[in-house]
Amino acid sequence: MVLVAEPAADTNRGDSFVEEAIAHLDTLYRGALRLTRDPARAEDLVQDTYVRALRYQNSYQAGTNMKAWLFAIMRNLFWDRFKGGRPEDVSLDGDSQFALYDTLKDPSAMPEADVLDRIAAEEVVKAVEQLPELHREVVLLVDVEGFSYKDAAEVLGVPIGTVMSRLHRARRQLQKLLYDYAQESGIVHSKEEGA
Amino acid sequence: MNCTDCLERLDQYVDRELTDEELDQVRRHLADCPPCEDLFRLKMNMRRVVKVCCDQGVAPEALRSRLRQILY
Repeated sequence: MVLVAEPAADTNRGDSFVEEAIAHLDTLYRGALRLTRDPARAEDLVQDTYVRALRYQNSYQAGTNMKAWLFAIMRNLFWDRFKGGRPEDVSLDGDSQFALYDTLKDPSAMPEADVLDRIAAEEVVKAVEQLPELHREVVLLVDVEGFSYKDAAEVLGVPIGTVMSRLHRARRQLQKLLYDYAQESGIVHSKEEGA
Repeated sequence: MNCTDCLERLDQYVDRELTDEELDQVRRHLADCPPCEDLFRLKMNMRRVVKVCCDQGVAPEALRSRLRQILY
């Protein structure tokens, strides 16, 4: 997933490469939208991802995971452009806020599974978009795109254990955001109120 | 397998990242433990709902044509 090859220019290979890459456009655009939270920025990010992918197409090995390769390019561009550089493997993983939430072990903070189906799609998207970027991107890769931990780790350039811990915290936070929303909007009542 | 072991592996279970042996151990624990089974259902449902909700919409047609012009 390291972009080191010389720029390429074999026309026939180029056309089939572009076809294969373009087949992932909708997926990539949705990912860009979740990352940037802005349609214009998402379009720019996707366009630049494809330009860079074409330029470095020789570093892509045919038959391997094109979607993962494109996501890796897009994700790196996103951090370079919008966040002022790629993240170090940082403090978020030890974020005490979530550690605290983990230790609460409060049964009333756990929604029934079917409550989620009563929450509108845009509220779920909004909750995902509220996650810190490092957590949001792992949810995108694993939950939305169905990447294995190994592929997600390659895209993000981190060990598999980091993918697992970020994913765990991201899901805990999502659970809390959605449950808070469900309570605020009256979809569920807190168990104390109901008791 | 006790509840702590099960909860530690629940994300991997949901994501099909366990070995066959571990998978079987978690499955047997869930069958006997309603609280862990509840949490498992919640995690499965959450993953499904997040996918369904975030996987909607297509790229704007203008972007698609612009890319075709740039890339070919």
